Formats: sequence, C-alpha cells, structure tokens
Amino acid sequence: MRARRGFARRRVVYALLGVGVLAFAGFMISQALNTSLVYFILPSEYAQQPSQYQDRRVRLGGLVAPESVRFDDLDLQLTFDVTDGLATYPVRHVGSPPELFRENAGVVIEGRFSENEFVSDNLLIKHSEVYEAPKDGHIDIEALRESLQ
Amino acid sequence: MMSLGTIGSAAVMLALALSLYAIVAGIAGAVRRDARLQTSARLTALAVFVAATTAIVVMQAALLTDDFSVRYVAEQSRIASPTWVKIVTLWAALEGSVLLWAWLLTAYTAVLAVSAPNTVLRPWALVVMNAVQLFFFSVVAFAANPFIVLASPPLDGPGANPLLQNHWMMAVHPVLMYLGFVGLTVPFAFAMAALITKRPGTEWMRLTRRWTLLGWGFMTAAIISGGWWSYEVLGWGGYWAWDPVENVSLMPWLTATAFLHSIQVQERRRMLKAWNLLLIVLTFSLTLLGTFLIRSGVISSVHAFGDGPVGPFFLAFFVIVTLVSISLVVWRWDQVRDRADLDAVVSREGAFLGVNVLFLAMTFAVLLGTVFPLFVEATTGDRVTVGAPFFDAITLPVWMLVLLLMGVGPLLPWRRAETQTLSRNLLVMAATAVLAFALAFAFGMRRPYPLITIALAGWNLASVALLLAGAIVPRARITGRSLGEVFTRYAYEHKRRVGSMVVHLGVVVIAIGIVGSGGYRVDQQLRLPYGERVAFQGYELEVLRPFSEQAGGRTSAGVEVAVFERGERVTVLNPRINRFGDRQMLVPTPSVRYTLGHDLYLALAGAVDPNQDFVIIRAVQSPLITWIWIGGAIVVFGAGYALTPGDRRLRRRAEATATSGERPADAGAEA
Repeated sequence: MRARRGFARRRVVYALLGVGVLAFAGFMISQALNTSLVYFILPSEYAQQPSQYQDRRVRLGGLVAPESVRFDDLDLQLTFDVTDGLATYPVRHVGSPPELFRENAGVVIEGRFSENEFVSDNLLIKHSEVYEAPKDGHIDIEALRESLQ
Repeated sequence: MMSLGTIGSAAVMLALALSLYAIVAGIAGAVRRDARLQTSARLTALAVFVAATTAIVVMQAALLTDDFSVRYVAEQSRIASPTWVKIVTLWAALEGSVLLWAWLLTAYTAVLAVSAPNTVLRPWALVVMNAVQLFFFSVVAFAANPFIVLASPPLDGPGANPLLQNHWMMAVHPVLMYLGFVGLTVPFAFAMAALITKRPGTEWMRLTRRWTLLGWGFMTAAIISGGWWSYEVLGWGGYWAWDPVENVSLMPWLTATAFLHSIQVQERRRMLKAWNLLLIVLTFSLTLLGTFLIRSGVISSVHAFGDGPVGPFFLAFFVIVTLVSISLVVWRWDQVRDRADLDAVVSREGAFLGVNVLFLAMTFAVLLGTVFPLFVEATTGDRVTVGAPFFDAITLPVWMLVLLLMGVGPLLPWRRAETQTLSRNLLVMAATAVLAFALAFAFGMRRPYPLITIALAGWNLASVALLLAGAIVPRARITGRSLGEVFTRYAYEHKRRVGSMVVHLGVVVIAIGIVGSGGYRVDQQLRLPYGERVAFQGYELEVLRPFSEQAGGRTSAGVEVAVFERGERVTVLNPRINRFGDRQMLVPTPSVRYTLGHDLYLALAGAVDPNQDFVIIRAVQSPLITWIWIGGAIVVFGAGYALTPGDRRLRRRAEATATSGERPADAGAEA
C-alpha cells in the first residue's frame, strides 16, 4: 500500500515537472517566434505604418526604379530605389549587383529600415513569368505581390 | 506500335489494380487464416514490383530516347543533356519523383513478401504496405501521371531544373531520401499489423529492427548529402538555412532517431509500448505531411518545388493515416498500456526517455516554425517568414542537452545505476570536458555555444573511450590476448553496440564541424582587379583570366582565380555561372578548396563583364566544415556496420541470453 502511495506521489511530481517544462518551453518558443518573424511588405505598406516596421528585420519587395541604380565598385556599395508604384524608398546594399539585376526587375531585399532608407544585406532577384514589368508606368499591386512571393 | 506513354500508363494502372487485389486477398487470407489466399497476396506483391519496374523502365527509355510525346519528357528533358542527366531526370520533378517513390516501395514490399518470417504479423504488414502503395499509384495515375501522351509533341524540351543538374549530388540525394522514407514504412506497417492482431509486444520491432536502421541510415545520408549539395550549388557558402524543404526532411529524421532509441527500452524492459507505436506513426505521417507542405505550394521555399496537383492527395492521406493509426492505438489500449514503471531516472531507460523527449520537443519546434507563417497569413493576412534565428534559438540548447545525454546514456546500466562506477566515469568525462573547454578557450574561442559544444565533444569522446575500455580491458586481462585482438573480436561479436559507438562518434565530429563553420565563418565580397593579388584570410587571390566553355547543353562563364598561400601558389579555383539550354535561370557555381582545417569558397557575385578590369567575388572561409561530411560518412558507416549480418551462431546465443535475462525483469514488472 505504501509503495502504491509513493508511486502515486511520484506520478504527481513527474506531472508537475512536465507541466513546468512545457510552460517554460512554450514561453521560450513564443519569445523566439516574436523576435524572429520577418514580415514581407511592399513599399506602400511601409509608407502606411512606418513606425511598425522601424528597426525590425523585414523583407521588402518591389521593382528596381528606373534610373536610380548606382554602383560604387571600389566600396562595393549598391544604391537604388525600390518602388511599387505608390511609394518609393532608397536602398543601400553592400555587395555587387547580382547578374540579373536591372531596372524594373522584381527584387526582394532583406534588411532594416533606418529612418526612410532601407539597409539591405540580402538581395534576391525574382524573375517571374507571372509578372510583366510595366510598360506604361502603371503597376498592378496585387499581381506584383503575387509575383514576388 | 503502342507508344511508350500508353505502356507506362498501363503498367501504372496494373500496379494499382494488383495492389488493390493484394489488399483484399491479404485481409481475407489473414481473417480466414487461409494460407492459399495469403500466398496469393504475397505473389501479387512480386507482380506489383514487376509492373512498377516496367513503368520505371519505360520512363527511362522515353527519357533516353528523347520521346517527347511523353509529357514528362517534354516538360523535363532535353536532347542536348548528357546521359546521366537524362537518367536522373526521372526524379528531377514531381511526377517522376512520386513514381520512383512508389517503385522503391514495391521493391521493399516484394522483399518483405519473400523474406519476412512467417508470423501472424506478416499478412497484415503486407496489407498495410500494399495500402500505402495503392495510395502512391493512385497519385501517379490520377494526379501526377508522367506518362500522359501529348498529341503534338515538341521537338525539344527545356531540360531538367538547372539547380538539380548542376551537381552530381542531386543524382544521389533524392533517391537516398526516398529509400529512407520507404525503409521507415516497413516498421510502420508491422506496427499497424501488431495493433490489428493484438500483439503490441516486441515482435514487430524485432522483425523490423534492421529495416528501421536501414531507413534511418538512408535518411541520414540523404540529409548530409543534401547539405553538401546546398553548399556546392547554392553559392552562399552554407549548407543549412532552415528552409521548409530542409525542415520537413529533418522532422521525420528526428522522430526516427527517437524511435531507434526508445524501441530498445521496450525490447529490454517491456516499457513504452504506446510511445513506440505513436513514434513510428508520427515518423511515417510526418513524411506525408512534409511532402504535402513542400509539394502543394502552400509554403514558399527557395528550392521552388512549385505547386503541383498532388497536395490534396498527400494531405488527405496524411489525415487518414494519422486518424486510423491513432484510433487503432486507442482501440487496443488494453494491450498497449504499459504495466512496468521506471525504476530509477538515472538508468539507461531514463536516459533514452530523456533523449526521446528532447527529440520530440525539437520536432515540435521545427514543425511550428515551418507552419507558423501559414497560421499568421490565415489569421492576419500578413505574409511572414520565420527566420533562422528562431530555429537556432530553440534547437541549439536542445542539441546541447542531447549531446550531454549521448555521453551518459550508453554508460548507464538498465534499471538502476550503481553510483560508484557511474560517478567515477562521470568524473573522467567531466575532466575531459573541462580540458576541451580550456583548450578551446586558449585557442581564442569565446562564444558560449561553440565553447559548450567543444566541451561536450570532449565529454562524449571520453564516454566512448570509457565504453570501449570497459568492454575490452577486462576481456584482455582474462584471456591474456592483446588489446587489438580483443577489440577486433569484440567489434565482430557486438556489431550493434560498436556500430552505435561509431555513430555517436560521427555525431561528435559533425558537431565540431558545425561549431567551426557556423560560428567562425568569414564571408566577404572582394573586388579583384585582373593581375593583382588581393589578401583574404591569410590567402592572396589573383584573377588570372575570364573563361567560357560549352559542354553537354551547358554554357559556363567564369574566371580563373589563382590562390596563394605564403607566397606560394596552391591552387586555381574556377567560380562560374552556368546556364542550361534556353532556360532563363542562371546558376552561380562556386569553386571550393577543401582542406581539413578550413575551406576556401569562391563564388561570382556579379556578372563577368568584358568591359571591366575587375570581377567581384564572394569569398567565404569556413573553418572545419569538411568535418561535417566526414562525420556524416562516419555516422552512415556506423549504421551500415550495425546492419552487416553477424555470425548466426553468435546471434542465436545472444538472443537466448537476452530472453532469459529479461524474464525475471518482466515477471517483476507484472507482479
């Protein structure tokens, strides 16, 4: 009988320990998720709520604005404007432009907004068959968003 | 003459129908204990294999003869591709991959039908295998038929996905992955058979022990080779990015690893019956869920598998498999319930249980991180990705605990540890760990995770040394033979035990490789003018000349970079950009100098412009990264060694002692 009671008590201790570990793990996981979520946004979405994305890692999608590309090959600094037709922001990227980088190309850049300049450390070219670069200057936002996903 | 596409489709339909017959005959034979029906089901398994093999041969024939009337060939192949690319094109896209998966499944089922011992479990296990097969052939026939005949075939196709044909490793990696998945289907099938026949004892896992280890070994090899492929092809100098495609291959591996450890607890202590059943169900259903996630396009991935029509099929099958198998466990709860209890936490089974919880926690975290973007998008409409920092933050501490337990567990006896020997062993291990920590610190390492990992590497090396010494020294003393002789004999007689030591050793080697390459890599873009030497991490790099070449439907443009070390030219690397046929996609192809200390990895960061007198190169120095591949090879070797057949006489003797040794423990548990 005593053995059985000890057994039951041990079960309770194990259960409490288990709950404690789970609660701790849950807390750690939610913390880690919160700090490492990277939002995908377009320039116009940033324009609506700049404070929400300030100093937070985001993926910014858009088109390389015409006549905005500068590349300093000594410092390896690439600057260009990214636009979705509604809003345009300057981008600073350390590194060489990738092979398919050109005006009106769809890009996804990863980094942070600092003030209203985007500092990027990762630049991806999206060469999509879905989205055609604009001919007349008009950009279909939804089609652009889909093509950059 | 019939076209290849028609023959292929017919073979698939035949395999589908035969699988269906094998299920019906198998169930009827098992329920009515009709030996003739059971034999018929077994022979049908062979026939399905023949039909599936026909389909594979037809597809290969179509690929090799450039028969573009077959849709898959038209969409994936190209006349100018080299022969090896045409062969591996079978698994370069969705339809072919599912066909290959189905074929491997039929091969395993056929082997089982011929070689599995004649027990009550066998007919039911074959029924389950055939049911899985039926699912795969339905997908091939109704959702992803590669044999559809085109009315107006094109003259040439676009060729296989450039990322895949850029490296021979891609010829290997998917096949290994499917061999692993299929291998783990066998214990799943026997587990289901055990539940159906109310025999959830150790029989099903003893019968499938080798299949489990085989599947696990293939999966490990697949993950390691996938990492190596990423490293050699993707051009960023890393091998693991916590991309969804990588995550879904890791999850079943984690649960399979847990399973591999926890079945030993049941074999020795008759505990964890339900746990083991649920683990193998989880492993199998995670392979299905993973396939759904990456093949349906619900999750975007850099590997861009795209969205196919098979998503709903895999999702439905995942739901059915999970529901049916969990209901089976619940239905048989009376047989499945454990009657024994843990005697002491500090015991072999305690350590195995601990490592199981850790692996499961990791699986959950990886799953959460992988599907979390789906939840966010469904609830808020925001598009998010979960970055690598999440996965690192969650899994690194758990890996540390795994390494800690990996050192202790094998030294602990079953049931209850004697504190005296244990504390002496722990003291030796702790001392080695401190020594390793101090050495790493002296070499200038300061970051916590790398330092802890190195300490744990020391801890584990000491553990393996103690294990071996404990096994060999007394034997040598008693027999008077030399240590080497005793070791050879011991390694021959205890293949599983020595194999597990080798695997653990390999894991330590991989951990060291990850510490070096993950914690101390240098990644830099360099402007290299032609004919000038530029310093990078103790090297000097000089671009000699640009080059371009054309071979096998591939156009490459790159530069020759001479690498100097202490003024001496050690090698010439050729980073390049490849283009395949008319495909738009460019594949930057890095060039690597492998050494045991560190790798020098060069990739073109931009175009090679003839009007420029310089090129921009991404240079990465990754310390110790080669040890990841070496460690992976050690792990796979260890698993393979444990699988090699032992001396039959020895095995029988071992089994006899194991069962007689277990009986008292079992009786005690029942009382």
